[in-house]
Amino acid sequence: MNVQAKSVGAVRYVGTRQPRKEDARLLTGRGQFTDDVRMPGMLHIAFVRSAVARGRIVSIDLDAAREMPGVQAIYTQADLAAVPVQMLSFFFTNIESPVTLLADGRVACVGDPIAMVIAESRAQAEDAVSLVEVVVEEETPLVTIADAKTGAPVHPDRDDNIAAEMGDEDALEAIQPLLDGAAHVVSTRIRHQRIAPSPMEGRACAASPDGAEEMTVWMGCQSPHLAARYLAQALGMPTGAIRVVARDVGGGFGLKNIPWREEVAVVVAAKLLRRPVKWIEDRFESLTASSHAREQDVSLSLALDEGGRFQAAWCDYACNNGAWPMGEDANIAVHMFMWPAYKLPAYGFITRGWYTNTMGLGGYRGPWAMESLVRETLLEKAARKIGIDPVELRRRNLVYLTDQPHTSSMGIPVEDITPGECLEKLMANIDYAGFRREQAEARKEGRDLGIGFATYIEPTGSAGSMAPMTGETVQLRIEPTGKVVAMLSTHSQGHGTATTMAQVIAEQLGVAYEDIAVYEGDSAIGAFSPGAAGSRQGVIAGGATWRAAEMLADKVKVVAAHLSNASVETVTIEGGMVHIAGAPEMSRSIREIAEIAYGEPGRLPEGAATGLEAQYRYQPPPMTMTSAAHCCMVEVSAETGFVKILRWISAEDCGTVINPGVVEGQIAGGLAQAIGQVLLEDMPYDARGNPLAATFKDYLMPSISDVPDFEYLHANTPSQTIGGMRGVGEGGAIVGPPTLVNAIADALAPFGEIDELVLPLTPARVLDVIEQRDVSGTRAHLDGADVAAVVEETNPAEVVAPVMAAGIDGDWNMVLKTPMGPQEMVAHFDADGAVVSGYLQAPEGRQDFSGGTLSGSQVKFEMKVEKPMKITLKYDLQFDGDTVSGKCKMGMFGSATVTGERV
Amino acid sequence: MKPAPFDYVRPASVGEACRVLAESGGGATVIAGGQTLMPLLNLRMSQPFVLVDINGIPELKGVSRVEGGTRVGPATRQADALEDETLARHLPAFITALGHVGHYQTRNRGTIGGSVALGEPAAEMPATAVSLGATIEITSSARTRSVPADEFYVGPYMTVLEPDELVTGIVYPDWPDGHLVLFREVAQRAGDFALVGLVGALALEGGAITRAGIAWFGMGPTPIRARQAEAALVGASLAGIDAEAVARAAVADTAPFDDHHASAEYRRTVGARIFARALRETLDLRSAA
Repeated sequence: MNVQAKSVGAVRYVGTRQPRKEDARLLTGRGQFTDDVRMPGMLHIAFVRSAVARGRIVSIDLDAAREMPGVQAIYTQADLAAVPVQMLSFFFTNIESPVTLLADGRVACVGDPIAMVIAESRAQAEDAVSLVEVVVEEETPLVTIADAKTGAPVHPDRDDNIAAEMGDEDALEAIQPLLDGAAHVVSTRIRHQRIAPSPMEGRACAASPDGAEEMTVWMGCQSPHLAARYLAQALGMPTGAIRVVARDVGGGFGLKNIPWREEVAVVVAAKLLRRPVKWIEDRFESLTASSHAREQDVSLSLALDEGGRFQAAWCDYACNNGAWPMGEDANIAVHMFMWPAYKLPAYGFITRGWYTNTMGLGGYRGPWAMESLVRETLLEKAARKIGIDPVELRRRNLVYLTDQPHTSSMGIPVEDITPGECLEKLMANIDYAGFRREQAEARKEGRDLGIGFATYIEPTGSAGSMAPMTGETVQLRIEPTGKVVAMLSTHSQGHGTATTMAQVIAEQLGVAYEDIAVYEGDSAIGAFSPGAAGSRQGVIAGGATWRAAEMLADKVKVVAAHLSNASVETVTIEGGMVHIAGAPEMSRSIREIAEIAYGEPGRLPEGAATGLEAQYRYQPPPMTMTSAAHCCMVEVSAETGFVKILRWISAEDCGTVINPGVVEGQIAGGLAQAIGQVLLEDMPYDARGNPLAATFKDYLMPSISDVPDFEYLHANTPSQTIGGMRGVGEGGAIVGPPTLVNAIADALAPFGEIDELVLPLTPARVLDVIEQRDVSGTRAHLDGADVAAVVEETNPAEVVAPVMAAGIDGDWNMVLKTPMGPQEMVAHFDADGAVVSGYLQAPEGRQDFSGGTLSGSQVKFEMKVEKPMKITLKYDLQFDGDTVSGKCKMGMFGSATVTGERV
Repeated sequence: MKPAPFDYVRPASVGEACRVLAESGGGATVIAGGQTLMPLLNLRMSQPFVLVDINGIPELKGVSRVEGGTRVGPATRQADALEDETLARHLPAFITALGHVGHYQTRNRGTIGGSVALGEPAAEMPATAVSLGATIEITSSARTRSVPADEFYVGPYMTVLEPDELVTGIVYPDWPDGHLVLFREVAQRAGDFALVGLVGALALEGGAITRAGIAWFGMGPTPIRARQAEAALVGASLAGIDAEAVARAAVADTAPFDDHHASAEYRRTVGARIFARALRETLDLRSAA
């Protein structure tokens, strides 16, 4: 799709640096954030939170707190239970380990909310909070992944601490020989620290009960539509009963994808109290009690042939889910997106999420970013080991456009990715050889410079492949005044969607940018969309806006043609004027057309609707890929271990660029987070489960002096979507960390390899490599922490299943643990000798299978499914009396466990 | 993040301030710039019954020359001190260190006395006072006393200041004209408290060091005076100084700790390096001049 050719007006808007429509109010302090909401009679909420990481609540004494001035109510879980709540994951599946809004008899992490005090002012609420006495019978907390492997289950209703498990350990049998027989094998291990997302504005929620059943909720969120749908579903309210409004929001980053315990508790409190209430998360809560992110322990081995071509890889991934994650997560996306941009014949993995007594994990910009970090850092390590230049090693393995269509070893098809082309564009714009010369000269002076690269692809604009990712709706109208109003399903937490969408409208409709008003941020506006999640709004809302504006332009042309007795093809719109080719005297302003369309229906074409309106809901392809190559140059001080970033160049391909300033802002923001992750940010816990970075004095966010001026190159390969955009919201946070780590590793190469990358790379940890000793104390600390891990597998009981005397015929209730939550179904089996047939019945429908095999008490069968993708499910079940357990291999999704029992 | 309830008084004189402190029986806290206290109040880590605001006491502000030294009023804003010509002329080490305190914005509000009296062990101003041999003037309703800076600090955020006492001045002794400034710190971000840092002054005469005052910050529970290094330097000729050996002696006086930003070993290792580098560069500057 050629953007230039599609242009309607002479004035170009798409691709230009329009000043942002949002800036005037935000930069002059006139934004409308949730804390700016004031309602008559509104009360304020403060939470009583657990100071211990794990234990049974013996008592909660509220008497003294209730006597405090201004206190109107204090709720514990016993009170909130009056309103049944079913919390949901980001995939809108039921949270497995029942999470209550407030602690229900037990606390599972420091910061666990225990009670909510509702008072006339926030200060009064906090005064009362300090008088609530909670007695907890403390238990030994599980803090690390190693703890989780051996300790008693965090959730007493579960058998172990595995929140989710995917992949297949047995697949290592096929991969291991490839590793053993390869010319080169390189391995790495990364321990990614825990991140506190730390948006500038913490979480915030104000709820006002209106009428009998309705509720208006103001919330700092990433999509008012999604929040409204979540709240309605979680609270069992009619969908239309909840309206969510979110005007300005100071950053989301994934943390505000879905309402979580506190926000839902605020809505429930408003329901119970029948009064407007507000909760504004403070910074202490934001750091210690908002969902955390990352904290992974990952090992990756890669086999290469003599020429450096990838042969096979194996990954063992674990993440610390905390006690109450926003969805039990083994992060399957890490494995899905690790290799599609590279030619790798064989890949296997095991991936697990572990429960611990720490704050739960939530989404965070590029939640699967570990795939790029572990792959790209290992790749450059391999380059050093084999003696091939890291750029050359990529060239030998990347999937270029000429190699496509291509299908990854896990079955992901790619047909228009451009990481190789981005890399070539990057290399054409930097003097790589010159830097290497400079680096060599600097070494002689005792200065250590380094250069690092990273290439990656990213799935963006996801729609229809997993709930609740959907299309976007745009409603456009030209007012009788000639001004254009857009009602969008989008939401901006800094994304500038009002700006970019207005640019698309201005371009497609032929009106001035200034004459367009954009309304968003309200579930009463537009239609359902998940908003800012997964780099999707520019792609999907952009496409919807593009098409809706075209439709509206067509309407204007039909009216203008009719009025001038001309053919539609002769009509053009430019700068708010409607022209007829060859008849300049017939030019009319859009306003004139609009006045006729609204006020003089008799002058419209026969049968034409009055007014000038258009609506379009765009359902794009399920996934649109973005690519990039970055490079960064650093100087590392061997004296202090400090890292100074000298230059950083980004070459990204996000297809059609609507506004380069907005695109670059997204990349820069992601890179700032990358710099924070690599060098500064850390939310450690002590052995008793206390978070150790409770203020910004200890949680080091990158500041303006830590972030360099980035340089940008834009490749512009249009995607298959309307408008040709590709998502760019998360890329910087994904490709940034490996780029910076690689630059540091390159600078450190003469001293040694970073054998195990423990983040953040503090100055002390940099000295560990330079001096080849444990300056930072990290090794001693980790060796101590890993001791627990040695004692794992406490229950290796090898059960020899007897031949099934009772037979397998009949119905079985089975649960399949998929990455998007557990799937319940009824399985029906009919055994005819060694041949098994039957069906699986789920809420979505019934699917038959045949040709299965029965051997002893083992049944194997296959089933092809279309959703979420075309894959073949391979079941391998072991029956034991009235119970069944086993695995289901799900193509790229790895293996899921199956459990069940006879109906 | 709302402070616990407190009474607020804004006395107009030192006497009135001291009276409130005395009457509060330990329940009062002095606020000047509030750059540390306000967050502590908001976190309820500090819960005074009375907040005594000394910003309305003119005699606690400003810089003046006194017999043998320079006196800085504790309520003097850091930004004002940074621009002060008397301090620039007589206490270049003070100015160098002050430039590393917080940020432009926080220095507009933060005060010298607040920084000195808080006793953050990784902060620049307490170590500066110790290294230069400053004296802290202290007043209460009952008495007035002066305490040498290196006896003022007893632990992290702990000083000899009694609950009824107020710091009324910090007097920095004069150093010989042309004395040299020793300063270096490593902090993860600009404006952060240091992982490790050192500050001090060296006076020279005829190619030999005649006077040395050096203190560490971030290297123990209090600012730590590098006494062994000072002893090694005083009397030494420039040609005879082994910077690395002096640095080792300096580190020998420290007692750093581990935290999640840096290990004690890092602080010792890098501390020795920046000490030696600061010494070499400072003395080279002198010899080149």
